[in-house]
Amino acid sequence: MRPGKLAGRVYAGLVYAALYFPLLIVIAFSFNDAKRNLIWKGFTVKWYGTLFADAELVAALWTSLKVAATASLIATLMGLLASYVLVHHPRLRAKRAYDSALSVPLMVPEIILGVGLLSLYTRVCFDLSFWGLVCAHVVYCLPFVVWVVKARISSLKGHSVEEAAMDLGATEWQAFHKITLPLAWPAILAGGMLAFTVSFEDFVTSFFVAGVGTTTLPIKIYSMMKFGITPEINAMSTILLVLTLLLVAAYYFLNTEKNQDQLPV
Amino acid sequence: MSMLKKIDPALSWLIGGRRQTASQLLLLPASAWLACFMLAPIALLFVVSFAQRGDYGAISWTFTLKNYARSIDPRYFPVLMRSALYASTTTAVCLALGYPLAYFISFYVDKHKNLLLLLLMLPLWTSCTVEIYAWIIILGREGLINSLLTQIGLIDEPLRLLNRPFAVLIGLIHTYFPFMVLPLYSSLEKLPKAYIEASKDLGGGPWATLWRVTFPLTLPGVFAGCMLTFIPCMGDFLMAEFLGGPSTYLVGNLIQNQFLTAQDWPFGSSLSVLLIAVMMAGLYLQQTLEKKHASW
Repeated sequence: MRPGKLAGRVYAGLVYAALYFPLLIVIAFSFNDAKRNLIWKGFTVKWYGTLFADAELVAALWTSLKVAATASLIATLMGLLASYVLVHHPRLRAKRAYDSALSVPLMVPEIILGVGLLSLYTRVCFDLSFWGLVCAHVVYCLPFVVWVVKARISSLKGHSVEEAAMDLGATEWQAFHKITLPLAWPAILAGGMLAFTVSFEDFVTSFFVAGVGTTTLPIKIYSMMKFGITPEINAMSTILLVLTLLLVAAYYFLNTEKNQDQLPV
Repeated sequence: MSMLKKIDPALSWLIGGRRQTASQLLLLPASAWLACFMLAPIALLFVVSFAQRGDYGAISWTFTLKNYARSIDPRYFPVLMRSALYASTTTAVCLALGYPLAYFISFYVDKHKNLLLLLLMLPLWTSCTVEIYAWIIILGREGLINSLLTQIGLIDEPLRLLNRPFAVLIGLIHTYFPFMVLPLYSSLEKLPKAYIEASKDLGGGPWATLWRVTFPLTLPGVFAGCMLTFIPCMGDFLMAEFLGGPSTYLVGNLIQNQFLTAQDWPFGSSLSVLLIAVMMAGLYLQQTLEKKHASW
């Protein structure tokens, strides 16, 4: 091994360790049998028990799941249409405007959209609850869906699969729903997973937009953090982290090359 | 199924993309959504930023520039400067730490590139509240570091690690680090490897090649990374709220306070518009830089 490569490995290892160390600490201390997060006192899962006995927490988890499911579904449908058009319609007017509009949510500081939506919702008397949250989250989910799905649809177009189908007599609609959709399916699902994660984890926008009745899990953690550290927060954060990990792992496996290049040709 | 057959021509017209109307129609859901829930809020902030604060936090619609003048008021100007300072420090540290990492992933890793990138992005998708909570556990008065140091007898009194600029900076660097590395990585990937070989063939040592070939050619990525780190950093309020103290009050906290506590929405809006202006200026610079690079 070249010395450069070895040094690089050591360096990368250190950076990744620093990146994950805080998260691992949270997880480790969620199993600590002590009321205060001081010293390791022994292994326990009792904090998870108290967590699920807390009706408010379970409600927050349920709200988070519902919001994320709705937002990611809407974002996936709209993102799929947008991706298809952006790839397949060559003479689309204002294509660059669409492209940049779809990346703006990734650039704007979240607090801006948070207070902006808060102003908008109060002005038009839009009820600050479930749907307010969903509408806001879709904005953040959309770029991720388009990012994943568009890549897949362009690679399919590169293989000219739709063209082949139409040469053999398929109509454009048939080519879309019999060729494009099934082949792009893993990527569509992967984009949806990513959107779900983005919505599920979102704090800043939700913090400004959520009404009194709609507390999501990150908001719940925030309000509990105001009262100091308790092992229950560790346990809840761990659940959140594990869910993210599972979703992102699912995304990764759905979106790997191996899964994508199974063209039936 | 026969139903589908009947509407097949209509659907094919939509999907086929020979008509501009069809394309625009298919894009309508996404564009209408972004117009309503992204552009409209920003436009509203812009309008409100020129209004006045009325009684009981209401907005009175008389045109004024007072809100913008207030941002250079000695009470608020230091907050803006501090935010810029924190954001630039974070950006500089992330660049210094991130460039070697992006370089390593791009040039030395073959098989597990995607996995390493995904591991880099994973913390981006974890909720920021969880990350802040982790730092409170580690740095707190009765936190991990203090209890370890007390146990081995190095200190008698817990160190004050939280509620100072250092803690806020650590939190910001940890959170925004991936935003820096990803664009750096993609510009390093795009770099034609032949350029590096040419430099070496012409007698350039590894450092000369890095400084005079690789780094200049990846400047667009460097700039994009800096933008993606600097801009969200400018808007962050959670780090300062939990890891900082009164001396680390940032513009994000100021905005949050105007909207949720002080009920001065016009002033809060003007601060938000200033942040958007910084963002637009950065984007413009980035585009100019990219154009210049493309013409090389």
